[in-house]
Amino acid sequence: MTRKQRRLVLIGTGLGVLALAAVLVLTALKDSIVFFNSPTDVVEKQVKPGTRIRLGGLVQPGTLDRRDLNAQFDVTDGRNVIRVSYTGILPDLFREGQGVIAEGTLTDAKAFRAETVLAKHDETYMPKEVADALKKQGHWKDDYDKKGGAPVQQK
Amino acid sequence: MTLWFILALMTAAAVFAVLWPLSRRGGQGRSGSDLAVYRDQLEEIERDLAAGLIGAQEAEAARVEVSRRLLAAADQTQNSAKTPPSAALWRRRAAALMALVLLPVGAAALYLSFGSPHLPGAPLASRSAQAPEQRSIESMVAQVEAHLERNPEDGRGWEVVAPVYMRAGRFTDAVRARGNALHLLGATAEREADLGEAMVAAANGMVTVDAKAVFDRALALNAADVKAQYYTGLAAEQDGKPQEAGRIWRELLARAPANAPYRPLIQSSLSRVDPDAAAPGPSSDDVAAAQQLTPEQRGEMVRGMVDRLAERLKADSSDLDGWLRLMRAYIVLGEADKARAALADARKALGEDADKRKKLDEFAKDLGLEG
Amino acid sequence: MIAEIGHYALVLALALALIQGSVPVVGARLRDPALMGVADIAAFAQFAFVAVAFAALTVLYVSSDFSVVNVFENSHSAKPLIYKITGVWGNHEGSMLLWVLILSVFGALVAFFGSNLPATLRANVLGVQSWIAAAFYLFILATSNPFARLPQAPFEGRDLNPILQDVGLAVHPPLLYLGYVGFSISFSFAVAALIEGKIDAAWARWVRPWTLAAWMFLTLGIAMGSYWAYYELGWGGWWFWDPVENASLMPWIAGTALLHSAVVMEKRNALKVWTVLLSILAFSLSLLGTFLVRSGVLTSVHTFATDPTRGVFILAILVLFIGGSLALYAWRAPLLKQGGIFAPISREGALVFNNLLLTTALATVFVGTLYPLALESLTGEKISVGAPFFNATFGPLFVPLLLAVPFGPLLAWKRGDLLGAAQRLMVAFAAGLVAIAVTFAIIRGGPVLAPFAIGLAVYVMVGALVDLVERIQLFRQPVGISLRRARGLPRSVFGTALAHFGLGVSLLGIIGESSYNAEQILAMKPGQTVSVRDYDVTFDGVVSRQGPNYRELVAKFVVRQDGEIVGTLDPSKRSFTARGMATSEAALLTRGFSQLYISLGDPGTDGAIAVRLYHKPLVLLIWIGTLIMVLGGALSLSDRRLRVGAPKPAKKSALQPAE
Repeated sequence: MTRKQRRLVLIGTGLGVLALAAVLVLTALKDSIVFFNSPTDVVEKQVKPGTRIRLGGLVQPGTLDRRDLNAQFDVTDGRNVIRVSYTGILPDLFREGQGVIAEGTLTDAKAFRAETVLAKHDETYMPKEVADALKKQGHWKDDYDKKGGAPVQQK
Repeated sequence: MTLWFILALMTAAAVFAVLWPLSRRGGQGRSGSDLAVYRDQLEEIERDLAAGLIGAQEAEAARVEVSRRLLAAADQTQNSAKTPPSAALWRRRAAALMALVLLPVGAAALYLSFGSPHLPGAPLASRSAQAPEQRSIESMVAQVEAHLERNPEDGRGWEVVAPVYMRAGRFTDAVRARGNALHLLGATAEREADLGEAMVAAANGMVTVDAKAVFDRALALNAADVKAQYYTGLAAEQDGKPQEAGRIWRELLARAPANAPYRPLIQSSLSRVDPDAAAPGPSSDDVAAAQQLTPEQRGEMVRGMVDRLAERLKADSSDLDGWLRLMRAYIVLGEADKARAALADARKALGEDADKRKKLDEFAKDLGLEG
Repeated sequence: MIAEIGHYALVLALALALIQGSVPVVGARLRDPALMGVADIAAFAQFAFVAVAFAALTVLYVSSDFSVVNVFENSHSAKPLIYKITGVWGNHEGSMLLWVLILSVFGALVAFFGSNLPATLRANVLGVQSWIAAAFYLFILATSNPFARLPQAPFEGRDLNPILQDVGLAVHPPLLYLGYVGFSISFSFAVAALIEGKIDAAWARWVRPWTLAAWMFLTLGIAMGSYWAYYELGWGGWWFWDPVENASLMPWIAGTALLHSAVVMEKRNALKVWTVLLSILAFSLSLLGTFLVRSGVLTSVHTFATDPTRGVFILAILVLFIGGSLALYAWRAPLLKQGGIFAPISREGALVFNNLLLTTALATVFVGTLYPLALESLTGEKISVGAPFFNATFGPLFVPLLLAVPFGPLLAWKRGDLLGAAQRLMVAFAAGLVAIAVTFAIIRGGPVLAPFAIGLAVYVMVGALVDLVERIQLFRQPVGISLRRARGLPRSVFGTALAHFGLGVSLLGIIGESSYNAEQILAMKPGQTVSVRDYDVTFDGVVSRQGPNYRELVAKFVVRQDGEIVGTLDPSKRSFTARGMATSEAALLTRGFSQLYISLGDPGTDGAIAVRLYHKPLVLLIWIGTLIMVLGGALSLSDRRLRVGAPKPAKKSALQPAE
């Protein structure tokens, strides 16, 4: 091998790996990004049923209906309400009146099937996305505005 | 003053840390160089060769490489040796001056803008050591609670904190404290009776079935326990058996020493169920003794609780149990008019609900408010 | 008074850092030994003052001095002593103080052990180290002051958060910080080399051990955090590709790459420029990680919203150090002398390949972690990039890397023999194929690719051992000779083999857990039995217990295998009435390297309780593997003799610089 060839081998391998990585990143980004929506976003953007999204808002007090492993509750941002159904164990810190993020798909315009429900290990927790969405709707309370702990995901 | 002294000392130490190396003659002696590293490497090659880790050929190649670097490094060192290290005195002085002036001034300026030198420290120990009159009940309770949090097995502690809870109106906590004391220190008639008393207070003055069971246990341990007997009487009264209550209380009164602090309480209770019972005026001693004691305060406490219950029912009028408790409390306090008013209010509030309505009517009949 | 002493000590540390960051650097430029000499003592003094500040804060916590805002907000007089102490760094301000404490410890260590460094290099390194320290002291004093006071001390503190009272959580941050801050040493060395415009041989000698030490701490810290998440959070996951986790993974990957390139640098005097760049990257990512987590940029923008000064300060430090060092690199790196030369197929080449893949994998994690942030600040659109993204990008990049791992140590320096190495790895290939066949034969279900992944893990493990076997000529020489050769082998060789073996072990655990995990979520009634794999789990009933400051609902489970009782599990649900919060305590039953895992949901009516039941095959291997890796690192670190990578002699052709 000449000097030139050697250098070409090195540069070629490097570019090859980078190209592979770029392809991987781009395809993966296209497939696995999940958008965050508040109930109002869902209504206004007319998110199609079947699209995977993260839905965030407050759990409307008095709407939690829990039978063994099946739970249903309303998520609201003060303007619109989406009914969420979930099968499994809710996080320890899941409470009515608290912020919540659910990941899953819409089953129709106002109903949502959650696969995961997110909470956070802090009693003053308010997910950032939820806080922003609430601020937008003018339902922000200052006492939510505390620093949070590590996030906890509940499957 | 001590603080400023310590801070000054620290500043001096910091300044010294800079001045000392500056004052050392000839600066620092120790320093390594590339040459030493390469020499180490050459030795290492020999060692590896001797240990059989590398072959003679590889060792030779490595030796050539390292030697080449060694020579290059040696050249460089010679070149730089031509420009000898300069150690101008004025630079040292400038640096020393900087340390001497800028360091203390800068530190002081920063500290004075951020710090609060006037504030004394306030660790828990010093706060607890403050004169008692400066400390609130709350802080003392917090202290005992902190102790109990660490030593939940300390029955004496629970016993100490329980009456404080009672006085502070934290009856649920009092029940827990009494229960723990009982559990940890062993059952005695007094402890059982105290637990029962807390339970009654927590139930807004009602002797619940559970509380009654506790008093029964106390009496089983000591049939003459005054507190347990008193509450047994109260239970009888609340169950609508005034004769029974009267009998118990009369007996209690007969056995009580003339200067017993609880006499006035029993007498006033007795006069509710048996207006004929002659209530001899309490002696001045009795009054003095009674003033310091909980039974006297307890009456007020019960009244306060009843008022609170009435308030709550005004806000949330659908609570049947609340209404029943309120009516019974008024009867116990001897205020039948108020009890009737409460009954009327409750009927209004529960108007729709036939089931609750029925219960309410039955209860009213039991209390003798109707018919 | 103690608070004020601590506060002033921190101010003095800042003042000293400013002097240490200027006088010795000027001294190095002018070659003035007296000025350079200031660095050593100043580094010691700086450490002493930060230690005083940290000790003061600890005393304040222990004595529950609530006149200090930080103590009031993050402690409680009823906390057990150990959690009062760990509470010191369980909050933003205190953790930043721990950060600078570790930084100053490392600075003092450089001053202490640095006698074999050329004087100018030492002065420059300590100077750069001080710039970092100064920036952080200023940050702490100006925006996150742990010694801020309250005029009237409240009687009780605010925090008695039961979840944070955990030993695992208390040890995790200091370990991570030891790792993060450890990379500051290689960073300082890199910047000092750029300032001087040359890289000494002594430079190379220093960077690898320090990187290795930092890498070990970081590995331990990450493993610890992941195990904590696994047993404490109650749903059996151990890695979530959460931004906070990625923030610690990125410096780890960069550090791993740096570790390997530093080997080339130390032994072969090559890859210098690249190593300098990696040193800068590793620490920059550590800074980024610290801040992403500590400032709450990722989990919540609140810190920015409520305290804009803090956010701006953070950005300023990041821009200053990352931007500054990279600019310096662009400007000065061309001045650095090129190093040794090597062929593409060689030990150096293998390590370059390793670096290439690691940095690319790093880039994908970087994109996945920061893309949502960038998108949100640009378009306001909120997205989340979850595990699927990382699995789809990270995985494919790691497969070739893992295939290459056993080859590295078998290739000779300078020019290697790929075919020869492959021949010697036949055993490993065979072991991998056997593992694949066996897995297919005995295990039903699971992803189709999983057996291949298991084969890969076995191949990595056996391959790591092949190098050792080869070197001591086991099976080819009498055992006595082999043993003697083993004794003569440098410990770093054992370290490499062990670390690579540990990688395989972890991989095996990860595949076992993620591919063959059995999970049941159901509501169980007392007396009911559920089968998970070949275990029968019977729910015996619920007992309630009174804890010191909580009530606890304990569920009793009996586990049987083939009718025989193999253990009991009692997960519980605690409710802390005072704080109105509930926690779940999972219960684990270890069988070999696998675990049964039960956590509770909410009790329903009729005595049934929601139960989450997992069988996690080989899950313990994940952490055992990381421990083996750390052990390998420790062995390698203990080998303080300078090793030379003896090259294979050239046959004829001249080689050109590879950089």
